[in-house]
Amino acid sequence: MSGVILDKVVKRYGAVEVVHAIDLTVEPQEFVVLVGPSGCGKSTTLRMIAGLEEISDGTVEIDGRVVNRVAPKDRDVAMVFQNYALYPHLNVADNIAFGLRIRRTPKAEVLASIEEVAGILGLTEYLDRRPADLSGGQRQRVAMGRAIVRHPKVFLFDEPLSNLDAKLRTQMRAEIKRLHKRLGVTSVYVTHDQVEAMTLADRIVVMQDGHIEQIGTPMDLFLNPVNTFVAGFIGSPPMNQIEAIVEGGADAPRATFAGQSIALPKLDELSSRVGEKVTIGIRPEHAKIEPAGADAISVELDLVETLGSEALLHTTLAGNPFIIKAETGGDVEHLNQVTQFWAGPETIKVFDGKTGRAFGHPATSYQGGS
Amino acid sequence: MPDETRFQRVLFVLRRDWQLYLMLAPTVIWLLLFLYKPMYGLQIAFKDYSIFRGIAASPWVGLEHFHTLFGSDQFVRAVKNTVIISAFSLLFGFPVPILLALMFNEILHKTFKKTAQTIVYLPHFISSVIIAGIVITAFSPSVGIINYLISWLGFEPIYFLTKPEWFRPIFIGTGIWQEAGFSSIVYLAAIAGVSPTLYESAVVDGASRWQMMWKITLPSIMTTIIIMLIIRIGNLLEVSFEMIILLYQPATFETADVVNTWIYRQGLQGGQYDLAAAAGLFNAVVAFVLVIAANSLSKRYSRTSLW
Ligand SMILES: Nc1ncnc2c1ncn2[C@@H]1O[C@H](COP(=O)(O)OP(=O)(O)O)[C@@H](O)[C@H]1O
Ligand SMILES: [Mg+2]
Repeated sequence: MSGVILDKVVKRYGAVEVVHAIDLTVEPQEFVVLVGPSGCGKSTTLRMIAGLEEISDGTVEIDGRVVNRVAPKDRDVAMVFQNYALYPHLNVADNIAFGLRIRRTPKAEVLASIEEVAGILGLTEYLDRRPADLSGGQRQRVAMGRAIVRHPKVFLFDEPLSNLDAKLRTQMRAEIKRLHKRLGVTSVYVTHDQVEAMTLADRIVVMQDGHIEQIGTPMDLFLNPVNTFVAGFIGSPPMNQIEAIVEGGADAPRATFAGQSIALPKLDELSSRVGEKVTIGIRPEHAKIEPAGADAISVELDLVETLGSEALLHTTLAGNPFIIKAETGGDVEHLNQVTQFWAGPETIKVFDGKTGRAFGHPATSYQGGS
Repeated sequence: MPDETRFQRVLFVLRRDWQLYLMLAPTVIWLLLFLYKPMYGLQIAFKDYSIFRGIAASPWVGLEHFHTLFGSDQFVRAVKNTVIISAFSLLFGFPVPILLALMFNEILHKTFKKTAQTIVYLPHFISSVIIAGIVITAFSPSVGIINYLISWLGFEPIYFLTKPEWFRPIFIGTGIWQEAGFSSIVYLAAIAGVSPTLYESAVVDGASRWQMMWKITLPSIMTTIIIMLIIRIGNLLEVSFEMIILLYQPATFETADVVNTWIYRQGLQGGQYDLAAAAGLFNAVVAFVLVIAANSLSKRYSRTSLW
């Protein structure tokens, strides 16, 4: 089966290096999502895999073959673009068949393929329509159809859902996932939307400034971010971060900030850091508002956002915003009275105050940094 | 507002969008002054016009001038020449700018592309008189490069510009040389508007440059091509007559004289304004019909039209 291996892949535009020696192994049939803020090099990386951009350094391997010097058409990949890249002068059927006809596939086979793909994507009724007469979601599906119909070794997606409205995006997200389950084709998917990454990926690759910050399963990234960047990027809302000073010994470490103090997890690294600056991370989900006694942290409540079963409490802690995600239990009134929270030490992350690196994280899965 | 009058409605729109109407005004005024006001003079096509009597006082003569026109061998010959020259100009001249644009689009070397474009745009900016001078010199039997080549190959020199059979190829060729480059700009602009991802997607799908040109570029600029074609067909009878006047001579009238040059000779040189106006009106009516026809054909067969 066909995996994709990036080995120290570099992209330079003239003298400017925009992708810095990234290593990534996409296992056969895996769905890997590259996520990161705009301009971090996701598309460039994807386009190097597709062959649309020259690889400045390093190697890209698809299905065990180095493809640096292989033309895009011979890499056996299919790509779905953000703006769908549909041919406005061709109807849906001809758009889907474009790649096959280019390769001079026999007519009967082309027709059978169109029918099959249209069936999978629910496009059968629309085969005669031009892209201009389709809704955004339908266009998106045609773009997927163009990719599927060629039975490529690898699917490449570049922000395929970014042009859709929120509801349709959720729907198409599920459809892409279902499709991947059904076809089992190795996929590399680029998005700037961490929710998309979390919901779709087998593994997520978080990128920043042309580096890979962390690679891991969605849960892995959620629970064990390697640095403050990943912590601040993954999760919605993302992890709260508070600057604090380490106190206490290895057996009872604590962090203090703005006259308050909270118990930290027992990490070996902390014992040598007493008196140093750290950033502590608390997920909104891990901040509990039930009465917590002595170890509670006081906050100033600014605003309650009700989502239904849950609510987001926007508070201020030591001058910085701090968000708590709480169950409403069907009643929002009690949430308006919140003045404090607590968090179990085991749920608290501690990051180096200078480098932002997470303490106690196994060094092996740490891949970059700033 | 149900009981709002049409006038109130117009007033409201005028007040709301007055800036737009202000910007429109110069064009409308120009149209009225230079294209509509002269139409008043068209009536002399149906009058026995004399400049001394003036337009209003000249007596009506009905279709007499049209009878004269179609009874005139010279006019009929001019109509025939106009149709032939126009048809061949369209046939050979219309595709050239499209091909040029497609070729320019394939040139990757920037400096080479710019140089090539400048060279083909250049003749457009040169006065027709100079272009005609160049053509006349090039085809001259004594000093012309063409005849020099012909003699060098061992043939007799040909006095091209006195030979009726050579007039049309030379005229049409000159027209292409002069305008094809500049006309290609429209198509280049259309090509520039094609989304690059269409090509990227095609590259990943395995299309060659040739396939992309045929299956993406050309269909993508088809609307532009059709609109340009409609405009061309509408102007079909507008043979660039100053170039004809510069290149023709009595020896080539047989193939070179077109309606506009005929009007020029009759009207301005011969003083037969009424007859010339009738010929001009005939030309305009035919052109009008051609535009309407081209547009509705295009609307029917390609879903593209000017209006
Ligand atoms: N053709 C180019 N020339 C120069 N710089 C480019 C080019 N394409 C992209 N870049 C730069 O490379 C960086 C990464 O871009 P890209 O991969 O598109 O980011 P994204 O993660 O948003 O997809 C950006 O800083 C961008 O400005
Ligand atoms: Mg991008």
